[in-house]
Amino acid sequence: MGSNLGTTTGAWLIAGLGLKVDIATYAMPLLVFGVLCIFQNSKQLKGIGYILSGLGFLLLGIHYMKENFESFENTINLASYAMPGVKGLLIYTALGAIATVIMQSSHATMLLTITAVSVHQITYDNALALVIGSNIGTTITAIIAALGANTQGKRLAASHLLINLFTGIVALVFIEQFAVAVDIISAGLGIGAADNAMKLAAFHSLFNLAAVVMFIPFINQQALFLEKLFIEKRSNMFEPKYLDSSAMDFPETVVESVKLESIHLYDNAIHIILHTFGLHKRDLKNSEWIRQRIGQNKYPIEYDIDASYEKRIKGIYSAIIAFISQAAFTWQMTQSSKLSWLREANKHLVEAIKDTKHLQKNWTHFSASSNTAAINEYNEIAYQIAWHILQIEAIRHDSDNNELPLLSLDALKATIQNDDMQLNRTIEILIRERKISPETGSSLINDSAYTRSIKKNLLRAAETLFLHDNTDKAGIEQQLTLNETEINGVVHTVDKP
Amino acid sequence: MKIEKLLHKLHAFFDTDKHKKRLHIEELRRILLELKKKERKIADRLSEVDDIYLIKQYQTELEIIWLQRKKGVAVLQQLKQRKKK
Repeated sequence: MGSNLGTTTGAWLIAGLGLKVDIATYAMPLLVFGVLCIFQNSKQLKGIGYILSGLGFLLLGIHYMKENFESFENTINLASYAMPGVKGLLIYTALGAIATVIMQSSHATMLLTITAVSVHQITYDNALALVIGSNIGTTITAIIAALGANTQGKRLAASHLLINLFTGIVALVFIEQFAVAVDIISAGLGIGAADNAMKLAAFHSLFNLAAVVMFIPFINQQALFLEKLFIEKRSNMFEPKYLDSSAMDFPETVVESVKLESIHLYDNAIHIILHTFGLHKRDLKNSEWIRQRIGQNKYPIEYDIDASYEKRIKGIYSAIIAFISQAAFTWQMTQSSKLSWLREANKHLVEAIKDTKHLQKNWTHFSASSNTAAINEYNEIAYQIAWHILQIEAIRHDSDNNELPLLSLDALKATIQNDDMQLNRTIEILIRERKISPETGSSLINDSAYTRSIKKNLLRAAETLFLHDNTDKAGIEQQLTLNETEINGVVHTVDKP
Repeated sequence: MKIEKLLHKLHAFFDTDKHKKRLHIEELRRILLELKKKERKIADRLSEVDDIYLIKQYQTELEIIWLQRKKGVAVLQQLKQRKKK
């Protein structure tokens, strides 16, 4: 409704400026400066160039149309085809709709109508009908676009059609009242009674304003009706949600779809990892709560990672890979590299699950054993992984408030190194004190490596999914982040007594 | 304004590379300032805690920020030198 109302400014521009002054005089300088700006390197200047050129072509187009309609006056008089009464209204409404469908632009129809009415090639009554028709015809663009879109897109297109069709019918039924209202408004605005072009622009605005007034009070009812008309398929956690073929047309929408789907995969991945240790996402409240929940676990926890991987990961992961390979062939480096980063992020998630599977075997075995020291160490492993996921979730949901999100990750990377170092140190002590056997110790050492790998993979995925963007700031932050050797150096420096 | 000066200004306006470099330097300075603020905040917290685990955590964070700032200053100097050239 807002866009319908906003689009009426074009009619005012054409009627007010386009027909009153010799606009061709302004068109040429606009085109010259526009083209000059287009050839500049700066993106801003290029943008200004396209705006100026567009405006220049628009003014030139109006000028030529006006000139040619005026030349018709001496040869053909289109006004002789004018039709009075209801028949005329309906035929010209249909003509307006058909012209808009063919030209795919209500603006172009408006431009033609206003120009034609200004040189008296069509009557004012028929011009009103053409405007109504163009408003109905313009919905075809949205309908065509919605054919391949998701349910939300279809609902939006249907709403556009519903609003414009209903308002069109109302305007046709009350056309005389609308004409009177336009006369009153025009008089109030100082528009001359004979200035049909400006009156037409006023009608266009009034007509679209009427749509807003009529539909705003029933917006909820309309939404409910459309939700019933276009029922959305129940979202399935195990199927891709965002990989819509309609997104394939634009590089930006492909990247965004893949990103959203990868976040979906991330959520499924942490579900699997947490469930392996008898935890749920709701348990990620704070450190004490996580420890308490791990302590309450009843062992052995039997969780089938393979089945969960098949159900929650494989389908989505394969769909993402297929979607990326279908999409990324003729694109610019920016989009291709973004997709490549996202592909890597997905790979890290899958690796994290595979590491969890390796870890699960010993974790299930030792957690149910009678060796308290081994139980404590495996509980510590579960705690560290859950705590790490909680930290990532905090970064994920607080990235807008964090001034230096990428640089903040270095502290988390250092924690991974430090935890690993401490865990290995504890294992050595436990073996030395004979609290665990060397065999149990070697299993723990292997599992501490899996733990480190799970954490690192999750962090790398999260970095791409939640923090990476293409802004200059992110690029500069990236330059200042520490590499693994530097982080190791920090951990060892602080660890020194 | 002399024609030469005007042309120089126009050239600078249209030179995207220079514009980008200037923005890069400004953003880097802002990030360094943010790091400095963060460093002060953590140093204040460190002086208030007794818990060994927290002390170690804050020390690690301070050490990381110090290195990040060091890298940032080096990048800034490089950029300034390139700008002069």
